[in-house]
Amino acid sequence: MDKLARYAETLDRAALDARATPQLTHGDPDLSVADAYLIQKLSVDRRLARGERRIGVKMGLTSRAKMLQVGVDEVAWGRLTDAMLIEEGAAMSRARFVHPRVEPEVAFLMKAPLSGRVTAAQALAAVEAIAPAMEIIDSRYENFKFTLTDVIADNTSSSGLVIGQWNDPATDCSNLGVILEINGQVTQIGSTAAILGHPLRSLVAAARLVAEAGEEITAGDIVMAGGITAAPNLAPGQTVRTTIQGLGSVMFRVEV
Amino acid sequence: METTIDPKVIQQAAERLRGAATSGKPVAPVRDLISAGGVDAAYAVQEVNTRHYLGNGRRLVGRKIGLTSLAVQRQLGVDQPDYGMLFADMDVPEGIPISLNQVIQPKVEAEIAIVIGRDLPHPDLTTAEMIRAVEYVVPAIEIVDSRVANWDIRIWDTVADNASSGLFVLGAVPRKLDGLDLRECGMVMEIKGEPISVGAGIACLGSPITASLWLARVMARVGRPLLEGDVILSGALGPMAGVNRGDVVEARINGVGTVRAEFAADGN
Repeated sequence: MDKLARYAETLDRAALDARATPQLTHGDPDLSVADAYLIQKLSVDRRLARGERRIGVKMGLTSRAKMLQVGVDEVAWGRLTDAMLIEEGAAMSRARFVHPRVEPEVAFLMKAPLSGRVTAAQALAAVEAIAPAMEIIDSRYENFKFTLTDVIADNTSSSGLVIGQWNDPATDCSNLGVILEINGQVTQIGSTAAILGHPLRSLVAAARLVAEAGEEITAGDIVMAGGITAAPNLAPGQTVRTTIQGLGSVMFRVEV
Repeated sequence: METTIDPKVIQQAAERLRGAATSGKPVAPVRDLISAGGVDAAYAVQEVNTRHYLGNGRRLVGRKIGLTSLAVQRQLGVDQPDYGMLFADMDVPEGIPISLNQVIQPKVEAEIAIVIGRDLPHPDLTTAEMIRAVEYVVPAIEIVDSRVANWDIRIWDTVADNASSGLFVLGAVPRKLDGLDLRECGMVMEIKGEPISVGAGIACLGSPITASLWLARVMARVGRPLLEGDVILSGALGPMAGVNRGDVVEARINGVGTVRAEFAADGN
């Protein structure tokens, strides 16, 4: 088996078994970012082969808080499948994950394809609706530690998403207050401006990066624009809620 | 303020801080002198300097609230905010470059400024009375500063040092409170176009109104009540950031507006 396919299998297994695996770059320090995106595709292809359905893409490392946390300064993207969806207001099982964390996000629902170099206006014209959302990130690597290459190979830590109500995309989403509460306690505070200064910039970047990989964002896709605050750990018993100014709120519970 | 500390020591601490403000040279912390007297001793130091400045003709135009973020309170080991005096000469009109010579070790914070439309003499002021007293709000950039070298402050140092106040810039477009969401409003502060700090109204003690209510009650209690026309700098909506020569700082607060502070590029 080809080396990259082997890595893809390792990461896919780690996610399936909810068991951490050593960083790929520990054994293979020369792995490139291009290699990492190939590993990611091969790993997600294994999910699709098991019957999961592609539902869109996610952007990662888009906020200053996140970049500081991870120690990088480059935007990355990953793939979303239907198996990652968590029903709004419902419970997720902690046991399915290695060491899950949550971050507030903005989600775009697309009504038209978007590919290559586009303007913010073109990106907005392709948006059907915008929603408050949360992403469950769960690095498959030990201690949630990784290089940029590692995290891209690991589908940018993506492992779950929950989406709130859809709103009119004409809403100015450039600087909406964001509040993450765990068990009613305000845990993180931010603004959608944390996403590259404006969430639409993340959508523009997504169109370009996805096209570079020979794919495109299509109508019906969900694009998760990127984390807005630092990502707190999840533990059973928590009720997690994100409120975004003017967009409403979205919540889920964590079970064992 | 009642304090167990010898008035001479309070005086000494006040003079140390005032000396730094005059010379522009930061000084050692004052906590070694006053911490035994707690926060009350620190406010007694602040009060000595307030009286001194008022006696010298500086005009009191408002207050600032500090330590409104739970994270910062935890950092300093306290469970409530603090306050300092705003004098007329601390107001910098928007568009006028700020010389770094006016300050010692400046940092910037984005805040909501509340301008009061009536006197607030009641130590038991209610939320409704506070809301009714808000004449208008404007976005603000507070240039905080410390007379204590390297910002080596504990709670006693910052309270004694007028809550680490410096200068402030108010946005020029006043907004009525009606319909404004001061709790969920997003905030982004950019320096040279780069988003450096983000947050929301809730970061300020749950809401800038809650913070202002706390201040108004305390000020009534200590005998320096807020008066019609006073400005309240209600507290930072996100993390503070350092600034350098030539920096342009812009704070945008959703629904409240935009304000810019410009720092002079040259040494003057």
